[in-house]
Amino acid sequence: MTTAPVVFVVDDDPSVRSSLKFLIGTVGLHVETFDSAETALQRLSPDTPGCLVLDVRLRGLSGLDLQHELAARNCQVPIVFITGHGDIPMSVRAMKAGAIEFLTKPFRDQDLLDAIRVALERDRMRREQEKEITGLQQRFDSLTAREREVISMVVAGKLNKQIADQLGTAENTVKVHRGRAMEKMHAQSLAELVVMMETLKRLPKKAG
Amino acid sequence: MAETQDTQQGRDQLDLRNLIERLPALVLCALPDGSVEFANRAYHEYTGWSVEELSGREWQTLIHPEDRREFDDHWSAALASGKAFETEARLRQSNGQYHWFLIKKALAVSHTQSGEPSLRALIACEDIDDRKLEESARRYSEENYRVVVETASDAILSIDDGGTIRFANPATERIFGYKSSDLIGKSLTVLMPEFLRAAHEKGLKRYLDTGQRHMNWQGTELTALRKNGQEFQVEVSFGDLDSGGHRVFTGFIRDISKRKQAEARLRETELELARVSRLTTMGELSASIAHEVNQPLTAVTNNSNACLRLLADHNLEPEVLRRALKEMVADSTRASAIIARIRAFIMKTSAEKIQAYINEVIEEALALAGHRLQEHRVLVERQLTKDLPLVMADRVQLQQVLLNLVMNAIEAMSAITNRPRMLWVQSQLNESGNVLVSVRDSGIGFSSEPDDVFTPFVTTKADGMGMGLPISRSLIEGHGGRLWGEPNMPHGAVFSFTLPVAGESPS
Repeated sequence: MTTAPVVFVVDDDPSVRSSLKFLIGTVGLHVETFDSAETALQRLSPDTPGCLVLDVRLRGLSGLDLQHELAARNCQVPIVFITGHGDIPMSVRAMKAGAIEFLTKPFRDQDLLDAIRVALERDRMRREQEKEITGLQQRFDSLTAREREVISMVVAGKLNKQIADQLGTAENTVKVHRGRAMEKMHAQSLAELVVMMETLKRLPKKAG
Repeated sequence: MAETQDTQQGRDQLDLRNLIERLPALVLCALPDGSVEFANRAYHEYTGWSVEELSGREWQTLIHPEDRREFDDHWSAALASGKAFETEARLRQSNGQYHWFLIKKALAVSHTQSGEPSLRALIACEDIDDRKLEESARRYSEENYRVVVETASDAILSIDDGGTIRFANPATERIFGYKSSDLIGKSLTVLMPEFLRAAHEKGLKRYLDTGQRHMNWQGTELTALRKNGQEFQVEVSFGDLDSGGHRVFTGFIRDISKRKQAEARLRETELELARVSRLTTMGELSASIAHEVNQPLTAVTNNSNACLRLLADHNLEPEVLRRALKEMVADSTRASAIIARIRAFIMKTSAEKIQAYINEVIEEALALAGHRLQEHRVLVERQLTKDLPLVMADRVQLQQVLLNLVMNAIEAMSAITNRPRMLWVQSQLNESGNVLVSVRDSGIGFSSEPDDVFTPFVTTKADGMGMGLPISRSLIEGHGGRLWGEPNMPHGAVFSFTLPVAGESPS
């Protein structure tokens, strides 16, 4: 999953589309263009890294509609809005909904390229974080029930002996469970394991 | 009835009685206490009382109870003084009805056959019922008029042919603040603001000399002046009548300042609404222009910037440059085409030309400007030619042009204090068969060449945009006409425009 990011350009004006592709291409980025929100929706998926350069006024679904639709589909691609005539309420709405930037046409090329750079960086960070969390979750899922029991007591600050007493087993058995769990979780130290368990606890999903 | 001092024979008396009997007047003879000795034939016939009914009856019992006391007073006074009297009283007829009579009574000394003198009252009666009815009707009517005039909420004034106030009702005091008694004998001009006085005096004189009215006598709106110096709007109606060789003018003056204020507020609201909706339309239009034009501009900017970046990296292939330049040319062309299209849209499709009477459009524009004209005390004189042919016009655009010219005229006269602020609006057919409209003022006139005022953004006004006249000119040209300005003699400016008559191609 280390594909190169794509800059998706959505604008209903063919001249604007092709000039944006040309301009963004000069900094070595890969550009895909769409003439409507609908065609863009077909192509965009949460798996593709990249960002969206989106015109507000489009035929059919508007740029703001597309922003909502993507959020509803849990597609968190960062958006740079461009518009022929932006008003303040419109830009406030877009920014509140998480847009990176709101540029009025014609804009300075550096402003657009900077905004794209910020958007791609944010997308990359989010994906990395997501990947990390997914890995963590997978590693945690690979633990046996007893291993989970033991490490949750470990991160709660209990000693091996206390855990053994509580579980009605030998201290050595607890040590084995603990060592195996640390290994499975790729935790180098107790401190690292504590951080991992805290991260898992904060996830909105089931914590184990 | 002459007093009788006769002392002749009984035969003479009989003759006299015979004479009285036949008199074509209602006569009776009574004793000093009022009891009837005899009544003549005319009396019996007229009142319906028979000889039996009257004989010996106290005649005054036939008098209406309400009139009785007055009659009795006269009667006893007459007996005491021996003088004749006359009075008016209602007398009962035999059918029970009362009639008004003029009663004349004289005392006479009669002589019995034995020659003994005895006192008699001779009474002559004349039916005045009809006159009395008329009188009371007249009194009722006068009373009625008095009540109407005194309770009227409008001021009612009469002036003589010298313009001097002869009568003022109580409402005059309420409206103008002067006591009625203070107004009597004063000139009507005290109730007018300075700028109307000369016109009033001239108009009155002209009417008296020629019978020609200088204004509408029914419901004319004018400015009046209260005692406290406040000016206010009134509606005046008046009429005249000939009273013994003198003209008397009676006028009704209604205070319409409240109504006018309400109207002005309404008009301001309407204008504001029109302005807002125009702004909204313009805002929408400019937003769509911005969007339309920004697209190709954005493309040109992007393409140029991309080329500059590649050039900086020494990475610009001629083929890439050629493609970018072609796109830039195409987009620039597109931008100017959009602007041309919008311009054409504004100039052409927004005009809705229909057949119109120019005088109606003029009246509408003057009505729109009415408040400002009054505010600046501008007198408007219409010189509108009747039965002008129809013109093809967008009414709103023509109103806009006329309103613009009128507003300019008002502003050009706002600093004028040493002469009347006059606005003449004229419509006529010119020698080439076009309708010609002129708006003439007595203002400050032109400071340079008249045509300079048609240059966009040239203005003499502190808050002016300098767009009114250029826009007006292009609107008139859009109608196939011409708009120009000239100095007016001796003061001010005159702006004129022509419009082709409907059904003819513009010349």
